[in-house]
Amino acid sequence: MSGESQQDFAYAFLSILFEGAPFILLGTLISGFIDIYMPPGMMDRFLPKNKTLAVIVAGLMGAIFPVCECAVVPVIRRLVRKGLPVSCALTYMLAAPIVNPITALSTWKAFSGPMVMWQGETVSAQWLMTSGRLGLGLVVAILLGLVVARMPMVWILRKRLVDEINGVSTASKKKASKKQHVHTAECSHQGCGHDHSHEHDSSAGSSRLVAAFRSAIKDFVDVGVYFSIGVVITALFNTGIAPGAAWLDGLASRDVIAPAALMVLAFILSLCSTSDAFIAATLDKFTYGAKLAFLVFGPMLDLKLIFLYQTVMRRKFIFWMALGLFVSIGAAAVAFQWVINQSSNLP
Amino acid sequence: MKLKRQRILFSLIVLVWAVVMLYFYVSGRIDKYLAPGFRDFTLYGGLGLAVMGLFVGLTAGDEASCGHDHSEGDPHDHEASEMHPVTSMAFMLLPLLFAVCNTKDGFSVEALSRKALFDAPLDSKTFITGDLPPLTLEEIQRTHRKNEQGFYEFNLMELFFAVGDPELQKIIDGMSVETEGRLVMERENNESGKRRRLYRLFITCCAADARAVPIILDFGDQEIPQLEENAWVKVSGKLTFPIERGTTQVILQTATCEAKDAPWEENFMRNQ
Repeated sequence: MSGESQQDFAYAFLSILFEGAPFILLGTLISGFIDIYMPPGMMDRFLPKNKTLAVIVAGLMGAIFPVCECAVVPVIRRLVRKGLPVSCALTYMLAAPIVNPITALSTWKAFSGPMVMWQGETVSAQWLMTSGRLGLGLVVAILLGLVVARMPMVWILRKRLVDEINGVSTASKKKASKKQHVHTAECSHQGCGHDHSHEHDSSAGSSRLVAAFRSAIKDFVDVGVYFSIGVVITALFNTGIAPGAAWLDGLASRDVIAPAALMVLAFILSLCSTSDAFIAATLDKFTYGAKLAFLVFGPMLDLKLIFLYQTVMRRKFIFWMALGLFVSIGAAAVAFQWVINQSSNLP
Repeated sequence: MKLKRQRILFSLIVLVWAVVMLYFYVSGRIDKYLAPGFRDFTLYGGLGLAVMGLFVGLTAGDEASCGHDHSEGDPHDHEASEMHPVTSMAFMLLPLLFAVCNTKDGFSVEALSRKALFDAPLDSKTFITGDLPPLTLEEIQRTHRKNEQGFYEFNLMELFFAVGDPELQKIIDGMSVETEGRLVMERENNESGKRRRLYRLFITCCAADARAVPIILDFGDQEIPQLEENAWVKVSGKLTFPIERGTTQVILQTATCEAKDAPWEENFMRNQ
């Protein structure tokens, strides 16, 4: 790398890292505290028993717990360990960065101004793009959740995570079967071989706080490693991405290719869902359908997320999920643009 | 690795991140990296990381309990890391320290050429649709200050996006204007060597998503001041919108060009 290239890389790297690190910290703190303070299986109690309804509710949870895509991965990793069904966790993971008030607000602001013909009516682009983004994001996430609900967990999660979940499950069953528990003074935390939760409950506060921070810092480092790798690659692409800009512009008006091109761009740029609408709004040569694909696909899958997802999911599953997202979001974006085109042609 | 050592190592990693973030925030260098809406997050994030790193480092040897069942058959571990802590440290600190040592708080001209510095102007009103004054010469004169030499002060963004507004073009074509930005050599259509490009960056969130907002300066018969590449300048001259390279260009027939200090906010920011 030449001196100038090093300078460019360093500048892009730091800017992305400064933007993303606070959100990862937020996610890992939530994750750490969930780890220590939330009993296994608690999430289950909040979700409907019906699998389909549970997935739908999980998709809407992003509206209540707004988390961006960087922060959501450590949170769902912890929730899965705590017994949240994988289908609900993945639905939440994909939907939360889109179906949240901050993303909605930024999309709304970014598209203020232009008007679009829709079903014979002139509507504001901010209405169309905000509702289109949130709606499509939610639908795609729920559909993926419903598919995942019919798959065995070992196809989806990393082996270590599956082992941990199975371990928790086994332990929970054992705990439930124990009607009597004789407790002695010799019981201690390390390897006593039985349930001693009440012991720690009495020691309370500071001890659990220490444990929560230890869990959080471990999560921060685990996620931070993948985030760093992702930011390195993103910065390298970012400082050299525009040679393809002319080629991209040539694809802008093609209804099918344009959404695909912008999904690839979103993948490479790895922008935060809270701010990517401002980039999309500047891609003025592209159709609204292509911009919608950019805005829905990017928060669900990008270069840095690929690394973050690997802390939770098997690579094979990530590949198939990526393909599914690419095809379904691309198809929806093409259909969205087709409706706009038809509306524009109405007498 | 023993858990106590791992905790100390992790707290050191986190503290290095915290120090870097807080240093960039406190020194004000963060202004060149992030849009205003994101800068305070760097402060909060840096403080949060510092608290977490210090807390875990200072309590590394303490006994702590998670308060729930770790009985036989439940292998879950709150501190088992994905990879060896030293490997994690290498991945998290080496790129960061490399970047801190090599950054010059800006892109080179070569990188900027990949961020639209030398592209034809956008035929777009995306950024300023809501901010445009009514399209009469009187309104434009009323809303722009006139300097002592009789040049109207425009910000570079207005001139750049005038390409997308034929009505505005018609009114301000030929107007004497003053603006400011950074000066670089024009690459195309510059056989005489009398052209330069004036630009500022538009940042939506962070520098990585920056986009150059340029216009062309044509010095004609004027002497071109000898300035470093990327120097901040204040320029004044007559505004024109000729068609070159198949598209409308914004060209300032430059009358004066003098070096100036960088403005307090070097880049255009979202919502600015």
